[in-house]
Amino acid sequence: MYEEPYRWVEAITNRRQYLQDQLKQGSPIVAITYSDGIVILTVNRGTPKLYEIYDRIALAGMGHPADLEKLRFQMLDLAHVEGFQRSPSDVTGARLVKYGIAPVVKDAFEEIFKAPYISKILIAELGEKQMQDHFVRLDYDGGFEESTTTAVVGATAEVQSHMSTYLKTRHAQLGESLELVFNAALFTWAIGSLYQNREATLQDESTDSAVQDTSPSFEFPDEQAIQEHLQTVCSEMTLECAVLDRTLAGPSKYRPIPLDAVRSMLPATLKDKVR
Amino acid sequence: MARQGDFVQVLKEQGYQLGWARGDVSVPGGVNVPVITDGTTVFAMKYSEGVIVAGDRRATAGNMVMYDRTDKVLELDRYSVMAIAGVPATAFEMARILEHSFKYYRRSQLQDLSFEGKLRALAKLLKENVPAALAGTGAVAPVFAGYDQQRETAKIFFYDILGAEFEGVDHAMSGSGSPTIRGILHYLNRWGEKPLDQFSEEEAITLALRLLTSAAEFDSATGGIDREADLYPVVKRITKDGVHTIGDVSLKATFEARVLQHV
Repeated sequence: MYEEPYRWVEAITNRRQYLQDQLKQGSPIVAITYSDGIVILTVNRGTPKLYEIYDRIALAGMGHPADLEKLRFQMLDLAHVEGFQRSPSDVTGARLVKYGIAPVVKDAFEEIFKAPYISKILIAELGEKQMQDHFVRLDYDGGFEESTTTAVVGATAEVQSHMSTYLKTRHAQLGESLELVFNAALFTWAIGSLYQNREATLQDESTDSAVQDTSPSFEFPDEQAIQEHLQTVCSEMTLECAVLDRTLAGPSKYRPIPLDAVRSMLPATLKDKVR
Repeated sequence: MARQGDFVQVLKEQGYQLGWARGDVSVPGGVNVPVITDGTTVFAMKYSEGVIVAGDRRATAGNMVMYDRTDKVLELDRYSVMAIAGVPATAFEMARILEHSFKYYRRSQLQDLSFEGKLRALAKLLKENVPAALAGTGAVAPVFAGYDQQRETAKIFFYDILGAEFEGVDHAMSGSGSPTIRGILHYLNRWGEKPLDQFSEEEAITLALRLLTSAAEFDSATGGIDREADLYPVVKRITKDGVHTIGDVSLKATFEARVLQHV
C-alpha cells in the first residue's frame, strides 16, 4: 500500500510524530567554545551521553541508547580507519556526518519498513584555534546543520531556538574561564529542559496532539526559577560534562570532567545537590 | 568483532591487508637479496621511578647510512612505547596499527586496554609478520615498555621476530649494537655501586647516553651523538605520570657535563 505516494508521505509524517514523541523526554545538549577548548554538557539518567570519537572529535547524543551506540560505533569505525589509512588530520566531524552517518540515518528514516534511529546527535570538533572550532548537529531524519561558537540540541526546533536565544542574550560575554562557560551551558540546558517540559505538558493538555506555536508566550524564567529546576534535576539525575581541551598534551584532546570538578564549578545552591 | 574493540579486525573488514602478512613474500634465489633499510640499537632499563627507554637515530641499508634522524622510540599511547629494531617500514606500520588499536579500544569500550592486552596485540602483529620476517624482508624485534596502571609498576618486555614475548626484569635491548649494552648493563646491575633500579633519573639518563655512545663505538650501524648537528638520541622516561620525552636541551647539558669528558 505504501507504493502510493500519498501513503508514503503519510507514513513519513506519522514517523516524524512518533520520533518527536520519543525524543521529548530526552535531555538537551549544550556545547560552547572558549579559548582553551569546547565545553559540552548534558544531564543523564545513568547512561552516559557524551563520548570521545577521535583525537579532536566528541559526540553528544539524545535519544535511545541502543541507537546512539549504533551510530557511535559507525563513527568510531569511520574515524579510525580514515585516521589510519590517511592521517588523523584528515578526520573531520563534518565529513564523518555528511558522508558517513547522515545518509545512513536518512535512509533509515525514509525506509518505512525499517526502524528509524531515535536519536539526535551533536558532533563537536576542536580546531587548533578557537575560530576553527566546529559543530555539526544531526537530526533524526538525516538533516544536518553546521555552526561555530555554540551549538544546542533539544527535542524540537522550538526548544533549540529558545536555548540559542537565551545563550546569546544572557551569555554574550563568556570570557575565558571554564567555570563561566560551564555555568552558561548549565543554565542554557535548564532553559531547554524547562521548555521541553512545558511543551510536553501543553501537548498532554491539548485535545489536538500537535503543539501549536507556543514561543511568543514563553518568557525566560528568572535565575531563581532556573536554579530551583536545576536543584531538582541535580538531585535526581547526573550532570555530565566533558571538554575538548586545546591545552592537553598529546593527540587526544577529550577530557571528561570528574564529578568533584563539576561540583566545584556549580553555584553554591547546587553544590550539595549533585549526585 | 568491532563491538569488542578489535581495530585490526575492523581494518580487515574494510579490505585492508597487512602488506607483510600475505604469505607470498619470497626472496628470489637467495642471491639477489634486496638491501633492506635496517634499524639499529634501542634499549629499556628500570630506574628508581620507572623505566628509561632510549634509541640511537641511525637507519642503515647494508653499508649505507640511509638516515641519521630516525625516531625509533615510538609512543603508542600515554603510558606505553615501542622501541623498534629491524625493518623500519614494517615497524612503523606496526606502531601505527597499535596506536590506533589502543585508541579504538579505549574509545569504543570506554576503558583502557590492559597492559597484558597491549602486549598481546604486539605479539599478534609479529606472528602475522612471520612470512616476511623469515623471507628476510620485514623482520622486527621490538622492545615494549609501559606503565601497568592496574599493578602500579613500570614494565619492560622484548620480542623475537616470531612474536615470542619475554619480560626484561631489569633491562631489555634489541638491534645490532645491543650486545655491547647488554654486557655493560649486566655488569653494572650485578657488580656496580648499586643496582639499576636505584638509579635516579639523572643517573639513568647519563647512563643511557654513555651506553649509546659505547654501542656506536663498536657498531657501525649505531649512530652516535653529533653535537655540531644537534643530533641526540631519543630518550623517554615512563613513570606513573605517563610517557615523557627528555628534551634535546637537557640531553645536551647532560652529555656535555657527564659524558663528553669520558669519550
